[in-house]
Amino acid sequence: MKVNRTAAVFVASSLALAAALGGCSSSTSSDDPLASTTSSAELTVWVDANRATELEEIAAKFEADKGIAVKLVQKEYGDVMKEDFVKQVPTGKGPDVIIGGHDWLGLFVQNGVVARLELGEAEAGFSDVALRAMSYEGITYGLPVSLENIALLRNTALADETPATWDALIAAGEAVVEAGDAEYPVLVPSGPESDPYHLYPLQTSLGAPLFGVKEDGSYDPADLQIGSAGGEAFAAKLVEWGEAGVVNTNITGDIARDEFAAGKAPFMLSGPWNLPAIKEAGVDYAIESIPPAGDKPLTPFVGVQGFFVSAKSENALAASEFVVKYLGSEEVQLDLFAAGGRPPALTSAFEIAAAQDPDVGSFGEVGLDGVPMPSIPEMGAVWNYWGATEAALINGTAGDPGVAWSEMAAKIEADING
Amino acid sequence: MSTPTRLVASSTVPPPRPLAAGQPTPRRRTPRRNGRGAIVKNLVALAVAVVAVFPILYVISASLHPHGTLVGSNSLFSQVDLANYIRLFNSPTQPYGAWFVNSLYIGIVSSAGTVLLGALAAYAFSRMRFTGRRVGLVSILLVQMFPQLLGVVAIFLMLMTLGDVFPAIGLDTHAGLILIYLGGAMGVNTYLIYGFFNTVPASIDEAAKLDGASHARIFFTIILPLSAPILAVVALLSFIGTSSEFVIASVVLTDPPKQTLAVGLFQFVSQETSANWSVFAAGAVLAAVPVVALFFALQKYIVGGLTAGAVK
Amino acid sequence: MTTPLAAREGAPAERVPRVRSLRGLLLKMALLGMLDALVLYALLALAAHEQWWLAGVTAVSAVAVNGVYLSRRALPAKYLVPGTAFLVAFQLFVILYSGYIAFTNYGDGHVGTKDDAVAVLISKSLERLPESPAYDMVVVERDGDLAFLVTDPDGRVSLGAEELPLEPVTGAQIDDDGVAVGLEGYRTLSFPEMIADQRRIGTMSVPVSDNLEDGALRTQDGSLAYLYAATLDYDPTADTFTDLETGTVYADRGTGAFVADDGLEITPGWKITVGFDNFTRAFTEDSIRGPLLGVIGWTFVFAGVSVASTFFVGVLLALLLDDPSIRMRRTLRVLVILPYAFPPFLSALVWSGLLNPEFGFINQTLLGGAEVPWLTDPLLAKVSILAVNLWLGYPYMFLVATGALQSIPRDYVEAAEMDGAGPATTFLRIRLPLLMVTMAPLVISSFAFNFNNFNLIYMLTEGGPQDISTEMNVGATDILITLVYKVAFGEGSGRDYGLASAFSIIIFILISAIAAYSFRRTRALEDVHR
Repeated sequence: MKVNRTAAVFVASSLALAAALGGCSSSTSSDDPLASTTSSAELTVWVDANRATELEEIAAKFEADKGIAVKLVQKEYGDVMKEDFVKQVPTGKGPDVIIGGHDWLGLFVQNGVVARLELGEAEAGFSDVALRAMSYEGITYGLPVSLENIALLRNTALADETPATWDALIAAGEAVVEAGDAEYPVLVPSGPESDPYHLYPLQTSLGAPLFGVKEDGSYDPADLQIGSAGGEAFAAKLVEWGEAGVVNTNITGDIARDEFAAGKAPFMLSGPWNLPAIKEAGVDYAIESIPPAGDKPLTPFVGVQGFFVSAKSENALAASEFVVKYLGSEEVQLDLFAAGGRPPALTSAFEIAAAQDPDVGSFGEVGLDGVPMPSIPEMGAVWNYWGATEAALINGTAGDPGVAWSEMAAKIEADING
Repeated sequence: MSTPTRLVASSTVPPPRPLAAGQPTPRRRTPRRNGRGAIVKNLVALAVAVVAVFPILYVISASLHPHGTLVGSNSLFSQVDLANYIRLFNSPTQPYGAWFVNSLYIGIVSSAGTVLLGALAAYAFSRMRFTGRRVGLVSILLVQMFPQLLGVVAIFLMLMTLGDVFPAIGLDTHAGLILIYLGGAMGVNTYLIYGFFNTVPASIDEAAKLDGASHARIFFTIILPLSAPILAVVALLSFIGTSSEFVIASVVLTDPPKQTLAVGLFQFVSQETSANWSVFAAGAVLAAVPVVALFFALQKYIVGGLTAGAVK
Repeated sequence: MTTPLAAREGAPAERVPRVRSLRGLLLKMALLGMLDALVLYALLALAAHEQWWLAGVTAVSAVAVNGVYLSRRALPAKYLVPGTAFLVAFQLFVILYSGYIAFTNYGDGHVGTKDDAVAVLISKSLERLPESPAYDMVVVERDGDLAFLVTDPDGRVSLGAEELPLEPVTGAQIDDDGVAVGLEGYRTLSFPEMIADQRRIGTMSVPVSDNLEDGALRTQDGSLAYLYAATLDYDPTADTFTDLETGTVYADRGTGAFVADDGLEITPGWKITVGFDNFTRAFTEDSIRGPLLGVIGWTFVFAGVSVASTFFVGVLLALLLDDPSIRMRRTLRVLVILPYAFPPFLSALVWSGLLNPEFGFINQTLLGGAEVPWLTDPLLAKVSILAVNLWLGYPYMFLVATGALQSIPRDYVEAAEMDGAGPATTFLRIRLPLLMVTMAPLVISSFAFNFNNFNLIYMLTEGGPQDISTEMNVGATDILITLVYKVAFGEGSGRDYGLASAFSIIIFILISAIAAYSFRRTRALEDVHR
């Protein structure tokens, strides 16, 4: 064949090139293939960009104290991070430590990707609700970092005080509207599929929490309470509020925030995340407990963020040490507060933060009555049924409210127990 | 729908087209036959442009409003302020500048690769006859029809494994993402180019072949230049497709400075605590600039076309 | 696949003198050389990682590629190899992988190996004894065996190890805090030493007495130990977990989890292959069968109308803006492709704001305060979705049509015009059919794309509005792929990738059958110009 000579030249030259390539690569990445067997201990931590900056100092301190480097890997906080963790841990990849929301815990435990974590003495420093959020089926899995919940915002220029009940609040709000000073009696963030999270405090005050609670304070998914008589009363109320325009599925979270910031409502249900916009708009506000719509305890959902250790961490000992002893310190909790503005979960740090920023204190106080948002893996389906039914009730398309509500409860029950 | 195609196929497949494109055509330009028709056409074109643009005006208006939102701010351009654009470039944790550069880089490399790979394959399909040609043509299109519901899981695992061996193309690398995008280079794009190649008269390459030109020479120096319009279209489509792709990019790129505009911008609105519509809108407006610029640059190739540049 | 062509192609080539340019040859050799260098490097790296299977595939492909380019034959392959290589590596893999997943139970609760699951179950089954204190401790070592040197809250010091219950010891070195830190005959591990052995230390379980019910000490940081009692006992030989309280036995019954006689599972399970189970489920799943017909109908309407409308508008615009009597054509062209220049998820978000019944621009400003429920009325939501998809999709057709129009020789049109054909006739008889040659395959694949256009539906309505009286959470705008998503990922306890893959494959078969049929009908593959 004629190609032979060309081929020979060519093969020789490419061999030379390969040698050159191999040469550079071995000089630049010498720690690559073989080093992994003798892996010098290093902790990998997945954390969002804001907090990564604040953790650099403590990571350096840990390395100085213990001789173990901490590698902070920035990940966008959210579903991608959560799912990457579930996907990577079983393969032996993934980080040693991850920051996450407590509502991810059900998924983590179901997939066996998170290791249990004894907080030991540190436990006493955290609030009850934070600790309950970090545990699942009676086992603690994480170190709480921050808390988040909603409260009632009052525009102090439009209303002098917060009435004692939700009905009185609506009346007071309507009076302001009639006087021509506002457009909405109260703003409740919603959306086309409604928003069970913002409506939950009112629902509980009518005696229909989602689940019953076990002795140890954790949820009992077997004891579904949402379909109780209180739930049907709440359903009837939703229809009433929908007609009166108190709750409106056209008002999304953004619209609610903007309208409140524009001074168009005396009251609003809101979390701390809306405060910057409201402050910027120059509205004077007060943060207060949400007035109950019934006579039962009103318990908003609390979201807790914390650090978790991977079940397949090669450095479990170092990871637990780092999380409990270092990340649990008051100093770190305050640093993380500075990064995210979320109230710290450590009580002593919370008090310092609250002194610096009264808004934090006010929200935190409302949160003390709260319950952790349930973290069972079935919640995705639960939110779906729940939101769709509430939206239909608010829009007056649900037919008989009691029937619609009990059908929803039956679907939720079937999903959880089925 | 097949009837007209077939009908014409028989009437226009006509005789191998004489190489007449270079001759002066009898009428260079259609004279303005009908003034009123032209006015109507102009109005229709204008109306479509207005419909196309108005949601975008809305975004631009929001981006110029210091406290703008995408919902509920219905008076357009009530305030004009560049603060949001300045803020875009001043957030250390949301490096917009880096995203912009990343998107450009990924878009340009992927679209260049797509044009090259697509054109090579299209040349084979258009000019050569071989067993499996027809099956090949249909299969490259069918492959793209697989529902990508689980694509990201497979891609994720693949890049993770590859990254172990070749860190340069693992997760969180631009090269890895570009390779994935190039996996889709064959397909619709090949088809577009193939269709266009078919309209380039085969007599041109026959003539070149008689002059002793190799197949590679014919491809690179004759066919490609003649197909500038479709190559420009494919380049643009692929640039838009890859620079605004979200699903795969969000799984592959997780380190903020490495992300693309589509992934990064999504953070502005997905994080409840820092949802900032007006900054997001500003970011989106800037994100559209390269696409518009590219279209401006390519327009003369797209419409300048065969008739103008064909057979000189 | 290559030889017949070479034969045909070779026929005229006889007359061609061999004038292969040296420059071209050098370029080809350089490129191929670089590729081979890369391949060699890859093979070395793969060998270092013991990825023999991948290395084999790489080597075989490399040889094949070299063969293609060094040989004088196989001409089509020279042009097809680059694109096909990427296609096979990155697209076919995805499909094959989905195919494989469809035969497994991969999904939430079944992500890892059985060993991992057993380890997690053992750890989960430990219950911290109520009211039990934390014990100070250090890890000590003798002859390679590790032991815990424990100081209880009362200051008593004892020593114990795996299977060796705690025994009181005397003569330990005590530090200032009253904690034993060393013992004659044993060496206390430093922190770095513990780190080096952390897997072993982390799984050590030191009983406090001969009675197992008194619990065992475990540590997570090497300085504090806690007292646990197991609630489940794992028997490695029988491969069962036994609940120590109720006596229930959980065994591996081949379902990828430990299951009791009454069907109760303990989680997590692990990943196994399940044969055709997922396909059986896909066809029998109640939650998908009920609404299926309606959803399939709407999916076809959605995909069909989307393609037809974008094609119509796109082609019309392309023709319009090709007409010299239109002013400012360059600018108008840019304006009409603008919807395509913005990231689609942004556009969907903007549209859902514009269509808000009370606050949206459309109702409030354009319709003077009307409250048209664009996205919340079942019928209007469908209309809105189609309208938004038209807005998003016509620039694509416009671009493609504009490019394709340039391939239509003006003299065809002019010849027809001279024969007295009007603009409508020339369009229908000449331009459209020629346009279809290029565009028919795109129309078909655009249909397939919209058939699976998950993103648009999810970003605009999430499939809603939902009819709450039905059992399922199916909405008026759900298409097949969003329904599958809801069934496989949204219901019950998390994501079921196995089921989702099975659905993907079924949908793929359906859509490619439709596409293959359409190809034959349109005869798009006929070479009209030849």
